Amino acid sequence: MDFIGKFNLSATILLTGFAIVFAVLVFLIFIIWGYGKIVSTAQTKHHERKTRKELEKIKNDNPEIPSVEPVAVKPVRAPVVDDSVPDEVIAVISAAVYSMYGSREKVRIKSVKRSKKRSAWANAGVIENTRPF
Amino acid sequence: MEIINGFWDALKGIYQGSGLMNLDWRNYLMIGIACVLFFLAIKKQFEPLLLLPIAFGMLLVNLFPAIVAGPTTEMIPVKPEELDHYSNYAKTIIDGQTFVSKPTSGGLFFYLYQGVKLGIYPPLIFLGVGAMTDFGPLIANPKSFILGAAAQIGIFVTFVGAVFLGFTGSEAGAIGIIGGADGPTAIFVTTKLAPHLLGSIAIAAYSYMALVPIIQPPIMRALTTKKERAVVMKQLRPVSKLEKIIFPVLIVVIISILLPDAAPLVGMLMFGNLLKESGVCDRLSKTAQNELMNIITIFLGTTVGATATGENFLSLSTLKIIALGLIAFMMGTAFGVLFGKIMYKLTGGKVNPLIGSAGVSAVPMAARVSQKVGQEENPGNFLLMHAMGPNVAGVIGSAVAAGVLLSVLK
Repeated sequence: MDFIGKFNLSATILLTGFAIVFAVLVFLIFIIWGYGKIVSTAQTKHHERKTRKELEKIKNDNPEIPSVEPVAVKPVRAPVVDDSVPDEVIAVISAAVYSMYGSREKVRIKSVKRSKKRSAWANAGVIENTRPF
Repeated sequence: MEIINGFWDALKGIYQGSGLMNLDWRNYLMIGIACVLFFLAIKKQFEPLLLLPIAFGMLLVNLFPAIVAGPTTEMIPVKPEELDHYSNYAKTIIDGQTFVSKPTSGGLFFYLYQGVKLGIYPPLIFLGVGAMTDFGPLIANPKSFILGAAAQIGIFVTFVGAVFLGFTGSEAGAIGIIGGADGPTAIFVTTKLAPHLLGSIAIAAYSYMALVPIIQPPIMRALTTKKERAVVMKQLRPVSKLEKIIFPVLIVVIISILLPDAAPLVGMLMFGNLLKESGVCDRLSKTAQNELMNIITIFLGTTVGATATGENFLSLSTLKIIALGLIAFMMGTAFGVLFGKIMYKLTGGKVNPLIGSAGVSAVPMAARVSQKVGQEENPGNFLLMHAMGPNVAGVIGSAVAAGVLLSVLK
């Protein structure tokens, strides 16, 4: 193969390779991003519908349960919660505090924040599990 | 006297059939190289699961070359009363004597090698890899695909170098794929494009994969600043089981439609992953991950090693392949890191560029290197899961690059 032939072959492969690999993988980014959104939205809706149906079923099965009229409640100051902490974690923390102190003690959770730094024990655990070599 | 003569003839026959008569200096040199690979695999523990079978295959073929010989036929004289017994064989009559062409069987590795030659083992290895891979980090952060694509640039740049060094287009494609740092993909492409280079390419590919912790860190440090290396990335979002189940089906449909030549590799990779993620094929998933993977690794390793005979391996082309393979691998790492830097800039410093180097496949070693280099700057930084995204994207990316090379060059 002469120089021109080599140059043409190289340029063709270089261009085709770059273009196709990037095009396919960028296309996959959009597909995965899109289906991730669709699946998570569908799952949230499904979960909400399921919960509503269960509540209605309980209500229909037990008509004697009186419907609760909304009562004016003295507003309780809600704890300041870090956005990244899921509701389940708040529930677990609240339950743990309640089981420790009960209702007799006057204890209030003022805020829940994600720790910026791991504890020494947590660090040791993560290092143990992610040690590269 | 007759007994002594018989004994002497038997000794002579054994000596003439022994390696002492049939092996030349190249075979002995290859035996030496096999011993070096034993040392690297056992003492240094460089990819021992592959390097050890490869080294043993290399040793065996250089001691007994007939182990890879294909089946032949031999002419044997037969008596007239035996002709019925040989009715199915071709017959030749020379000077009134009838000869039949009796087929002989090939060497052990000839048969085992058919799995490599016919492109069976690499997709089966991918089945096991898929069953062991968690694509969660990639689904959580699909932008990782960019890094997986960037690290494949080394393949195409090396292709150009190989063409200008005198290799044909097909050979250059097989050499370039070393830059994907993916052993099964390199073997798959080489068997289709340049089977005569298989030994050199497979050994170069696996050696560089084993040397990932040595080759990559200096390139990563040279291309990044201290500040960039110390970036702590935000925790990835949790990925639901449904998303993980849909992923392999979706990927196999898209890739197989767009690039049919990549379908065997990507198809088996995703099939293995679906077995794992579905949660209903536990036995099959475990078999793919363990028994099947181990058996294929033994067959693949020994037979690929057996292609490295002195005659094939000891040539100038092998030296060129080893040099080009190293360049391909270094370029892949460099382009991955450079694209990581671009993402760092575009996201306002939220992406650590070190995860870009993991785009060269070599799962999970390349991701571990990102973690290690990141931790050198900031001991509290854990990049492993973030690097797994580009790392598994690199596996898909190298299969796509293989599909491109096969469709253009085959």
